[in-house]
Amino acid sequence: MDFNFNEDQRILTDMARKFFEKEAPKSLVRETMHDRKGYSPPMWQKMSELGWMGLAFDEKYGGYGGSFLEVAIIFEEMGRAAVPTPFFSTVILSGLLLQDSGSEELKRKHLTKIAGGECISTLALVGKSGVYSKEEIGLEAKAVGDHYLINGAASFVPYAHVADNIICAARTPPASGEGVTLFIIAGKAEGIEIIPLKTIVGEGVDCVVNMRDVKVNQGQILGEPGKGWECIERLWPKIAVALSCKCVGGMKKAMELTIAHVNERVQFGKPLAALQVVQHMCAEMFIKSETSRHAAYHAAWLISEGLDCEKEAAIAKAWCGEAFKDVTKIAHQLTGGIGFTEEFDLHLYTKNAKNLELLFGDGVFHRNVVAGRVGL
Amino acid sequence: MDFKLTEKQQQFREEVRDFLKAEMARGIYPFGSIHLAGALSREFSKEVSRKGWIGLAWPKEHGGQGLGYTDRIIMLEEMFRVAAPMAYHYMGDRQVGPGLIHFGSDFLKREFLPKILNADACFALLFSEPEAGSDLANCKTTAVEEGDHFIINGQKIWTSGGHYAECGWVLARTNFDPSISKYNSFSEIIVDMKSPGVTIRPIINIVGAHSFNEVFFDNVKVGKGYLVGKKDNGFRQIMTNLDYERAGIDRLMQNYRVKEVLLEYVKTNKRNGRPLSGDTLIRDTVAKIEVEYEVARLFVYYVASLLDQGKIPSFEAAMGKTICTLFEAKLADVATTLMGLPGLLMPGSPEALFDGVVCESYLWSPSYTLQGGTVEVLKNIIAQRGLKIGGK
Repeated sequence: MDFNFNEDQRILTDMARKFFEKEAPKSLVRETMHDRKGYSPPMWQKMSELGWMGLAFDEKYGGYGGSFLEVAIIFEEMGRAAVPTPFFSTVILSGLLLQDSGSEELKRKHLTKIAGGECISTLALVGKSGVYSKEEIGLEAKAVGDHYLINGAASFVPYAHVADNIICAARTPPASGEGVTLFIIAGKAEGIEIIPLKTIVGEGVDCVVNMRDVKVNQGQILGEPGKGWECIERLWPKIAVALSCKCVGGMKKAMELTIAHVNERVQFGKPLAALQVVQHMCAEMFIKSETSRHAAYHAAWLISEGLDCEKEAAIAKAWCGEAFKDVTKIAHQLTGGIGFTEEFDLHLYTKNAKNLELLFGDGVFHRNVVAGRVGL
Repeated sequence: MDFKLTEKQQQFREEVRDFLKAEMARGIYPFGSIHLAGALSREFSKEVSRKGWIGLAWPKEHGGQGLGYTDRIIMLEEMFRVAAPMAYHYMGDRQVGPGLIHFGSDFLKREFLPKILNADACFALLFSEPEAGSDLANCKTTAVEEGDHFIINGQKIWTSGGHYAECGWVLARTNFDPSISKYNSFSEIIVDMKSPGVTIRPIINIVGAHSFNEVFFDNVKVGKGYLVGKKDNGFRQIMTNLDYERAGIDRLMQNYRVKEVLLEYVKTNKRNGRPLSGDTLIRDTVAKIEVEYEVARLFVYYVASLLDQGKIPSFEAAMGKTICTLFEAKLADVATTLMGLPGLLMPGSPEALFDGVVCESYLWSPSYTLQGGTVEVLKNIIAQRGLKIGGK
């Protein structure tokens, strides 16, 4: 077994870290959080020039044919930078969904643009309850003649307000193919109303997407009619692992901020780090970040090898999601008052951690998958 | 990155499994005990020896197989999975052999390595004392040079297997110069446990088991040839050895049977007419155990991979042991609570579930987070060596 990155992966890590340090200073991160666009178009442009949007995809769709491990590395570094971007919604939620379940025609039309960094795309999956289940989907598509009309609302849709395309999961009644059907719709299509939400991570990230008689045709269906949920389930481990890697990067940085603080901050005539109770809390953060790193990359490696990883991906997300949150709790306890201010960077991680814990399934959700895999 | 075991390693796992299946089928060896390294059976240890699996990771020139630490972890994982009776050879294989290979004289290597490899010598470790637990450098036992001998006096405690081991691996003070650091004042010496002057008193633990002992040394005479490594360097030698001890899979796997029976219980039982496996809270509780187990298991293999790359894991080994002991302490607590009052039936009781193993494990569990370095001592190591904060 070899738990280390190879030379190329080390170079990519180094490059991505330097890129975000230069292009995404915390001043930009703070600005972006309060900006209604929710991302920095110049930085997005530069990411695209580096070819990162194409890392995961086949060369025939304009990608670089890289493995999922490379994508995982970008997610770790993005988590470390705590910078909001539409990378996850475009590359994972849309790009990989298209690559795994889309027809040749749809891939040529949409995936090439995603891989080339020419568009922003997203997935409208959950309803207003924010619960990830078929039953809680808030959009409904009805077949009318040779087309469909979509009505209803989806919520917590990342970057819908700036998306060129929105992939919608809509319930389809028996006559139109029982179950859930996925449609690719232009973000500016008639009948779509998009309202950005003010969430824990920013004012321009998640949106409500209201649809009133949005007209779509058969050619916009991704996968088979009525089989959309199966496509989402196939994508789920990749979603879980990408987010787990983001957690890993975030918790490592939150730990580093905290360790720098306990080394500098003097109380009772000595640095906080000289106190054993403080050392133990730091050790706990370190245990969480190291175990998370291995759990996340183990699952990422399984994906890149094309091996079954449902259990390992669920383990990674259940573990990393809660670990990141726990690290930020310890970090707050150790950084005291300054850690509770906007000027100190910790809150960026605190907010991301809570969001990532819940995003695409919390610990209970993923442990339920694990329970299934051990025969319960 | 490559998380795959090699073809050879996968075959080796199968070979170990087949061996264990055959040995279990013979029905003559005491499998299934969750005590330390399983029950004591020199005959079973002889079988393991015949396979060449004692000293698996020792270098070939010392009679080992020269295989890797990952191979050793694979073998132990399978042995612990069925709670094979490894107690006779366990300490010699894990600790004494590697210690002698690192530090021992040619005489000691010739004298003891073959005995360990052939399951002809069982070792006990005699480090802790009444006044020297976590603070091992506070040892009071002395070994005074007299001609070509050491004369040992003092008291050791928590000596696992002291009552059946033939040989003792003793830490004793050999330098009495107060101007010298305590850390440079101790030596490691091998003592014949049947020597005149050695008295062993059993200590019964809260499980009701006799696993450890108090050992008294009253003018015990040991030839100087039995000094391991350099005089006064014993403390440092032990610290190096401890990293190997902590790098094991013992703490993860010793209670594997408890995890197994917990799953079996939840799969096959109903409460209020409904299957337990359908209960959300119970599913989550069991899955938490499974997640922690898999996360810890991955880490154990990571530490083994470091050893195989020729690195000595220090904070990584401490981290691995921390995760594993916290896991196993939690496991028995969760299992007893989930099974309810029947889960508290002891081995031998009428109506006991799974031979009372869950309750027995719960009673053992306070010791897991203590032995071989308490969780607190391990966290000191993680902070000081891993994060470079605090420290002396």
